[in-house]
Amino acid sequence: MIKQYVESAKKGAVDLLEQAHKALEETQKINKEYRYSAAFADPVAQAEKLQQQAKDGKAKGRLFGVFVSVKDNICVKGIESTASSAILKGYKPVFNATAVQKCIDEGAIILCKTVQDEFGFGGFSVNTGKGIEKPLNPIDRKRTCGGSSGGAAGLTKKATFPHLALAESTGGSIANPASFCGVAGLTPTYSRVSRYGLIDYANSLDKIGTMALNVNDAALLLEIISGHDPKDSTCSQLPVPSMADVPGVISGLRIGIVKEAFNEQMDNNVRKTILEAVYKLEQIGARRIELSLPLSMNYGLSSYYTLAMTEASTNLAKYCGLRYGASEQLSGTYNEYFSRVRTSQLGDEAKRRILLGTFARMAGHRDAFYTKAAQVRTKIIQEYHMAFKNVDVLITPTMPLVAPTFEELKQLTPLQHYMMDILTVPANLAGLPHISLPCGESNKLPIGIMITANHFQEQKMLQVSNALH
Amino acid sequence: MHFTENVIIGLEIHVQLNTQTKLFCSCPTNASEPNTAICPTCLGHPGSKPVLNEKALEFAAKLALALGCTIAPTVTFSRKTYFYPDLPKNFQTTQYEVPLGSNGAIVLDNGKVIHIQRVHVEEDPGALIHEAASVLIDYNRSGIPLCEIVTAPDMNSPAEAREFLKKLLNILGYLGVYDVNNGVVKADANISIKERNYTRVELKNITGFKEIERALQYEIERQKQNEVKLETRGWNAEKGVSIFMRSKETEEDYGYIVEPDLPVFEISSEWVRSVQQSIPELAEQRAARWIKDLSVDKDDARIIAANLDVAVLFETIAKQCEPIFSARWVRREVLRILNDERKELKETAFESSSLIKLFKLILEKKITDRIGQRIIEQLATKKFLPAAYVKENNLAMVADEGALKNACKNAIKNNPKAVEDYKKGEEKSLMFLIGQVMRATKGTAAPNVVKELLKGLLK
Ligand SMILES: [Zn+2]
Repeated sequence: MIKQYVESAKKGAVDLLEQAHKALEETQKINKEYRYSAAFADPVAQAEKLQQQAKDGKAKGRLFGVFVSVKDNICVKGIESTASSAILKGYKPVFNATAVQKCIDEGAIILCKTVQDEFGFGGFSVNTGKGIEKPLNPIDRKRTCGGSSGGAAGLTKKATFPHLALAESTGGSIANPASFCGVAGLTPTYSRVSRYGLIDYANSLDKIGTMALNVNDAALLLEIISGHDPKDSTCSQLPVPSMADVPGVISGLRIGIVKEAFNEQMDNNVRKTILEAVYKLEQIGARRIELSLPLSMNYGLSSYYTLAMTEASTNLAKYCGLRYGASEQLSGTYNEYFSRVRTSQLGDEAKRRILLGTFARMAGHRDAFYTKAAQVRTKIIQEYHMAFKNVDVLITPTMPLVAPTFEELKQLTPLQHYMMDILTVPANLAGLPHISLPCGESNKLPIGIMITANHFQEQKMLQVSNALH
Repeated sequence: MHFTENVIIGLEIHVQLNTQTKLFCSCPTNASEPNTAICPTCLGHPGSKPVLNEKALEFAAKLALALGCTIAPTVTFSRKTYFYPDLPKNFQTTQYEVPLGSNGAIVLDNGKVIHIQRVHVEEDPGALIHEAASVLIDYNRSGIPLCEIVTAPDMNSPAEAREFLKKLLNILGYLGVYDVNNGVVKADANISIKERNYTRVELKNITGFKEIERALQYEIERQKQNEVKLETRGWNAEKGVSIFMRSKETEEDYGYIVEPDLPVFEISSEWVRSVQQSIPELAEQRAARWIKDLSVDKDDARIIAANLDVAVLFETIAKQCEPIFSARWVRREVLRILNDERKELKETAFESSSLIKLFKLILEKKITDRIGQRIIEQLATKKFLPAAYVKENNLAMVADEGALKNACKNAIKNNPKAVEDYKKGEEKSLMFLIGQVMRATKGTAAPNVVKELLKGLLK
């Protein structure tokens, strides 16, 4: 548990320097086998400063001496941050993302950036940018670790030193890899955490969240990074409730079981395991209520992908090889130049999403796609709000199956790839807080249970999480 | 739309609002060294976010209200995507669906109403600097707030377009939301003529209100003499010609989407009211009031009212000093000095109290007009009491015939040719002789007394 470690580190009972060396060595060793890390920070130098503070009796902060890895799309000042895209190669941000700064302010040691699908475009971390190796599942290297926060989840599973991860989810990019790697992944309500310093995928959907080996550590980190930030105009002003150590008391709590989520396409073991967990919750006082979310389950995916790709296509316009990141020999007209840079530096999935997203907002198609998708999102949010009148949380599996092998993934079409997000996307589209927790195994591969709460009701999903463990 | 006029013109105007900081970041707007007022936001760095400068919204609302526009209850921003090297994000954050202000108007002197369809705020791109072998980019301009004003196609001549733009600039200056001296105004014009069946051409990049008339005149002539296609052309001020840019078929599709990094801004009626209250009485209303209530000369009133600071100065003076006289003097002397020196009123030493004292000396015939002019030149550069200055320098008006007689006699003696001409009936020569006396008395002689004296002596 992070809390106990922080207490003894503050007292000077931990040799932070030794810890930093160990963390660095271990991460590099893991990296050789599993490829979770992108650029490294200078943990030893940071540890030295903290060690001195501890000696001077000036140690403070709820993350004192804790190693934090940062998903590559979250900016760390002076450390190459590329969102795992070749087009941002060499780009070192001139400022810290607010979430990163908050960790530093609490005494955290920034360890490294973690590999992801390029700009977050994927669910299996196989769409890493040009020249960036795909991360491998920590339990079975022939399998995917999920995505897009794949590096974050894998490192969280493997690290034996005190480690927490900053991750990010647009359509399920925290829950998905957390499920496949067997760790806790927390995604807050949209706008709960400042997006200042987050390299945009789809601004109206992007959420910075956290990962840890257990719920309370991830919740502590989420509590720390939450809260209003004047630098992000969309960031919520609501007060942040206490999230760490929410008591797992669930007597009378109403648990909604989404009928559409437990369909035939689902892996049998996964379904059985989740329903057993729900049964266990019933035994300790929860009430089980079956309900239907037809709009969310039928139209969530199409609305999500339309909106996400549309916004992404505008966000990626700025990457043109002119001001930062990759550049090439200047020649030809501006149009020829940036087309050449984008053609050579962006991956296939990024190109696919730029093309589809651009199409969806062109004058002749905007109403039918972009505008319609936004209307559907509003309807889906309403459907969830209606559901939360009758239940406190919703429970589904996180993914319809356990981590597939890379061979299996190759058989899937892009559309089938997108279909894997059927359970995580609707909650992300609606901006609802959700958590994925390890919940049993199938053939030694972890199964994730997903608990979703209403907007700004993070405490409720944490209540249920803590009751389960 | 059904047209009958020979020429149809609509304008889309961009003016820089003179806020202290940029539209979506806190970079200053007045930097001179290239690329010194820049930050991650106005450079479009990954992870940067816009934060709205509410002052810019207020300035634009002020203009919209002064133009009689309705203010939208909510304000949203949109992304207008196009690739251009001066545009750091390759999209411009602007307003698309609902503009801040709509349905306003400006009335021309001939009574014609020019409708204003929309007033909105957006960010300026950076500036391209063309050098011999390369193009440099200065991002100091990137993110400076612009106000876009779109008119209906209500103008029917280049002169009307020029008058419209002049009136608009006057309002902008009056509102204090635009830097009259350094601010940039750019116009794009839609122009079509009856002879070519109103085939519409868009003429872009016209800078300044003097250029607009020239550019439109050129384009009308061009259309009369050539086949006209639906197209976009650019105005080249240096060569004085319009140049083909693109045809309508290849018109860019900007793929507008709502700016997801900014919330929807609710505009309260309270806020609109407070902005409305901060709008000063505009030039035209002010001039009309002076003409009606103070009987001030029409031209004097309009010209003084066009400059807000001078208008305020005049109003203070007119409370204590004869208004018609004061207006004439403010226009002919104060404004003349400002124009000659290319200065703002604030940059001179003029103040109402000493001007009032001076005007009274003139009105009470304590000094001559000529001495008054001399003193007013001095008042532009330093503060002093006009009466004391007159006394110290012996500048009081001399109206005593005895005292002036000698000077008159000298003038007659020294200018026999003028005397001869006068006697032949040339009135002009009398004026010349009066001038000689004025000169000899350093401008203190009362001109009418001198005139009568000379007439008597020359009988
Ligand atoms: Zn800036």
